[in-house]
Parts: sequence; C-alpha cells; structure tokens
Amino acid sequence: MRREIPLFITFLVGVIFLFGPITTGDVPLVGMQFREIVSVYLSPWTTIISAFAIGLASVNLLRLHGNYVARKRPGWINSAALVFSMLFFTVARTIRELRPADPDIVAFYSRIFDNIAAPLSGAMFAILAFYIASASYRAFRARSLEASVLLVAAIVVMLGAAPVGAIIWDYFPSLQRWLLAVPNTAGQRAIIIGAAIGGFATSLRILFGLERGYLGGE
Amino acid sequence: MKLVPGNIFGFWTMLFVSICILLIVKLAKDGKFVVKLRRIAGLEAIEEAIGRATEMGKPVHFSPGIADVTGDTAPQTFAALEVLGYVTGLSAKYNAELIVSIRIPNVFPLAQEVVRQGYMAAGKTDLFKEDTVRFLSSEQFAYIAGVLGIFARQRVAANLMIGAFWAESLLMAEGGAQVGAIQVAGTANMHQIPFFVAACDYTLIGEEIYAGGAYLSQDKVRLGSIASQDYIKLALMAVIFVGAVMMTAGNDWLRVLLVK
Repeated sequence: MRREIPLFITFLVGVIFLFGPITTGDVPLVGMQFREIVSVYLSPWTTIISAFAIGLASVNLLRLHGNYVARKRPGWINSAALVFSMLFFTVARTIRELRPADPDIVAFYSRIFDNIAAPLSGAMFAILAFYIASASYRAFRARSLEASVLLVAAIVVMLGAAPVGAIIWDYFPSLQRWLLAVPNTAGQRAIIIGAAIGGFATSLRILFGLERGYLGGE
Repeated sequence: MKLVPGNIFGFWTMLFVSICILLIVKLAKDGKFVVKLRRIAGLEAIEEAIGRATEMGKPVHFSPGIADVTGDTAPQTFAALEVLGYVTGLSAKYNAELIVSIRIPNVFPLAQEVVRQGYMAAGKTDLFKEDTVRFLSSEQFAYIAGVLGIFARQRVAANLMIGAFWAESLLMAEGGAQVGAIQVAGTANMHQIPFFVAACDYTLIGEEIYAGGAYLSQDKVRLGSIASQDYIKLALMAVIFVGAVMMTAGNDWLRVLLVK
C-alpha cells in the first residue's frame, strides 16, 4: 500500500487538474465543477505542501551550513554569511508582514531588498554577457561540418543584425531575416512539437502510475 | 458537465492519443512489440563522465533543472529525476562523490529520496551523506551563484544538467567549462538549447531527455512510451501536411476543426 496510495492520489488529483480548465458544469455525484474542486480543496493543499517543503529545505540548509560553521570547515566564513543573511531577511520580512502599515518598517525592508538582494541578482544576470562571449569564442570554431555551419550561420546573423553588415553587403539583413524566419523557425517548431509530445507521454505515464522513478526505488 | 467550447477537438485528440500510447505500452510490456532506440550520445556519455570523475577523485554535479513538479515544465523535472536515479546507481558503482543541487523546495525531498533509494539499491548507503542533495536557494540567480561556488571550491569533474533551465543555463555551463568538467546537458526549453549546444560536450535536445529514463533502464514500459511518441509524431506530420495542402488550396475545414 506504500506505493499504491501515492499512485492513486496522483491519478485522482491529476485527473481533476486535467479536467478543470476544459469542462464546465457539475461533476456527477459530486455536485461541484472540477475547477471548484481545484480552487476549494486542492489549491490549499498545494500551498500547505509547498510550505512544508520550504520548511524542510530551509532546515536542511541551516543544519548543513551550521555544521560547516561549527566545525570550521574550509570556507566556513561563507556559510556564516549565508546563515546570517537567511536569518536576517527572515526576521525582517516577518516583522514587515506583522506590521504592514508601519511606513518605517516597510521602507526599511524595501531599502534592504532593493539595495542588497536585487543588485546581487542583477550582477549574476550581467555576468551572462561575458559568458556568452567566452562560450562563443570556444564554440564557433570550424572543427567539423556541423561546427562550420554553426560558425557561418552565426556570422550571417550577427552581420545581418548589425548596421555594418548592410554596409559590407546589401543582402546580409535579408539573409539574416530569412535564416531566422525559415530554417531556424522550422527547426524550433519541430523540437517544440517533439518535446510537447514527449512531455504529454511522460505526464500520462505518471498519471497512470507507469512511471514511478520520482517515488524512489525503481 | 460538458466540455468548454474551443477544447472539444483537443479533448478527443488527447483521449485518442492516450489510448494509442497505452495500447503500445501494453504491447511492449507483453513483449509483442520490441522497441529499439537509436544511439543517444549524450546519455551514453553519462557513464563516461562519472568514470572520469572517479579517476580524477573529484565529485559529479547533477542539477535536475530549476522547475517545479507542477506546471507545464514538470515533465522535464520528472525526466531529470529518472536520470538522477541512474546517475546515483553509477556513482555508487564507481564510488564517485555525487552532489545534487536543488532550487525548488518541492523537488528537494523527491531528489533526496531518489538518491537515498539509489544508494540503498546499490548496497552503499554509507555513500549517502547529509550534503549529497543540497537545497541552495529558491531565487534563480542565488541558486546559480551557489552552483558556481560548488564548482569553484570542489572543482567538479563532471557536470550533468538535465531538466528545465532558463537564463542560468549558460552560467552553469560556462562555470563547468571553466573548471574543466565534462558536461552533459539536456532540456526541452527551446530557448536554452543553443547555449547548451555551444557550451557543453553533449546535449540532449528536447524529447531526448524524456527518452533518458527508457534508454538508460531499457524498461519495456518506458520504451513502449517512447515508441508511441514517434507514431504520434508521424500522425501529426501527416495532419500538418494535409492541413498545409488544404489551406493552400483555400479550404480551411481542418483549421476550423482544430479550434472547435
């Protein structure tokens, strides 16, 4: 029963979520619409489970890094910074939630979020620009036929997009547009269709309990 | 109870396709339909990557993507967990250290259980440590900062990224390349595939990640499911061709049917 009960719950909930958006009218013998069952009974459960999952993950994080700090493992300073930041933001946000009408507290939280958390995320995102350059430098080399095609296509697209491309050759912009509109779009659509069918088949296997890898052990 | 207009054709198509998939899976399970998959270099390279990590005495990093187990990217996460089970078995076999980094809290207990069961099945429960599966952060870029920190401090020798990825994909791939890790990546997120192709040694494109579990386990049910996908694609290609011809001839009967 240890496996059968979760599989049955998976099937039942999956069917309800599946029929929710595409049906209207009350479900026979239940007296509610599928979407009402989702909003009244299932959505609160997903919130509760997510809350427990966040709690479990947070406790694991604190335990792990608390151990690193206690045993002074190499790099324990970083773990201490993580623990401090986590507790600091937890307390700050809790106070903000408990006193939402206090303008000083709201302004303080906004200040620390806008001046610490947001710039850090922005900085990580900005590193992408440099990583794109380094990845392109490594990837665009004519080592094989496929790599050569990639290189030529990249050159055409870059020159087609840049104003200097039109100066070098009049047809670069139209060639770039054709490359993106025809072969690139065709390839993308083929991959999207294949991935969508694959996702559907995987979902079906999970729904009918044919796929149990996520339960562990198989 | 009735179907909402605009979903009628979709519902009956879904039902028909589901019946086809289940029928082919049943035939494959009973041995009446033998499925052979083509060679997928990326999946075969996973064992090579883990073996390399063992030789170098460095850890293997696995990321099941940054998507949740709900929503339209959930199948990618489940596909990644299937591959994680296989990777855990190989890590146990080769005694390689495994690090699994998690972004979504909902995925954390699932990944922990998959890894724990994987080590138990291999008879190496002592290899499962408290920090084998690590929740890093729910914030996308805080998560990737944590992953890059793992790469820099522990100098991973193999980096496996299977699942749904977004902007952090290139950060992870380049970070792995900078520490010299052999990298196998796979995603069905169209917009990230080019980054993986450019930065990784092996890339699984789109539906190849869904074939991962079947290919690696050679389980008849999963193989049957993969075969059924191919038949559905063939049918879809026929519909697209017929639709294109009809629309070119000025007949939109099929288009009207599709939106019923």
